[in-house]
Amino acid sequence: MSLFVRRQLPIAIVSITAILVMADYFFRIAATGPIVRDLQNWGIILSAFALGFGAVNLFIVHTRHISKQTSNQWPYSIWLLFMVALFAGVGVFIGPTSTQYMWIYNASYFALSATLYSSTGFYIASGCYRALRARNVQSVILLVVGGIALLRNAPMLAAGYPILIDIDGWVNSVPTTSAQRGIMIGAALGAIALGVRTMIGRETGFLGRRTEAER
Amino acid sequence: MLYAGRIFAFGMLIALALIMIGCMEMAKKKLPTFRKLAGLDALPEMVGRAAEMNRPVHFTTGLGELTGTVAPQLVAGLAVLGYLTELAAKYGVKIVYSVYQPQVMPIATELMREAYIRAGKAEAFDQEDQIRFLSSEQFAYAAAVQGYAERERPAANVMIGPFYAESQLFAETFFRVGSIQLAGTARGYQIPFFAVVCDYLLIAEEIYAAGAYLSKDPVQGGSIQGQDIGKIIAWVMMFVGVLLTAAGSPALMDLLKM
Repeated sequence: MSLFVRRQLPIAIVSITAILVMADYFFRIAATGPIVRDLQNWGIILSAFALGFGAVNLFIVHTRHISKQTSNQWPYSIWLLFMVALFAGVGVFIGPTSTQYMWIYNASYFALSATLYSSTGFYIASGCYRALRARNVQSVILLVVGGIALLRNAPMLAAGYPILIDIDGWVNSVPTTSAQRGIMIGAALGAIALGVRTMIGRETGFLGRRTEAER
Repeated sequence: MLYAGRIFAFGMLIALALIMIGCMEMAKKKLPTFRKLAGLDALPEMVGRAAEMNRPVHFTTGLGELTGTVAPQLVAGLAVLGYLTELAAKYGVKIVYSVYQPQVMPIATELMREAYIRAGKAEAFDQEDQIRFLSSEQFAYAAAVQGYAERERPAANVMIGPFYAESQLFAETFFRVGSIQLAGTARGYQIPFFAVVCDYLLIAEEIYAAGAYLSKDPVQGGSIQGQDIGKIIAWVMMFVGVLLTAAGSPALMDLLKM
């Protein structure tokens, strides 16, 4: 594949698209509006095609597991393909908003999703145990602040010692908010730098690394 | 011509872009010095560990998509994926990329194939096995990644991109199976979860700098210097803003609202 097709053409497409979208955001130009809307629609259409690509990948990977009888995997692969076929069949022939489809969705994915989300509580507790250990000055500060936040969220203690509410409020609104805003400003500047590099064709991480000759 | 309320933002964007381009031009003459990013420097060690243990390396970009506000985080993650894949190919280690959004798959496929070709091991790349689309539903994807971690017990896990509630699930699961971990995200709420569990962490702007840092390209590095000048401008504006507001003047606030 030539350098033009592999590098220059994708960079040109990215740059022109980015300039059009930015112009539509900042300037009142009648001509850019419909073009940007079209570009967004193309994005949606491409995403739909990509979903088909993903489904094909899913089938290839899991039929391979089933045919090889990969240990600890192949029974799950059968179940996965069965569920994909079931959802697709009910969705196509009865409708994705039908009672039957919604029942399968709520009884399987929705319940499992809620269960997994709930389990994050246990993972957070485990992470807390590891983080809240006094190993150095920073971890002692974290331990003390974490302890105050924990006590403040226990209603009986907070009612008995209202100063906990004040301390927790100050920690949240002053040092935590300051640090968060510092991170946000840094991240925004980083995103702008990445955008500038991408638009002028210097950031090619998404196209593969440059060779010495291409620099 | 310009929308009201966006004039100052546009001016700042142009100014920052010009500063960054200027710094990139200056970097051609003199390479700026960088502070070390331990997480990115540790990538060869992580892949080397995987080679010694004969176990795979796992990579994911979280709930990254190409069309939303989190797209830059995904692009930053892909830059690391390219570098990591090349390393893995050189060391003969299998790298598996867990995909949440299928629209990323064609890009990732080309990126990884090219990395294998660059390493001189094109035949070792197995697209279907190494780029796995799991699900576009958050917790189905999370469960699939956890299942992968438990079954294949990768020696290293690299997570760079936008992460949400699944961040702690991933970090803890991979910790339990003994993976050495590098995590990076610009989502402030998830940074603490990664910080307590992972071995290396990239915080916010560091993930955007990853591509430039790993490329060793002085011109790309110059943009990071420009980014630092942007930080100084932000700092000065905050300082002046505090003084003006304390003195009862809304001048800076009015300027920002232009």
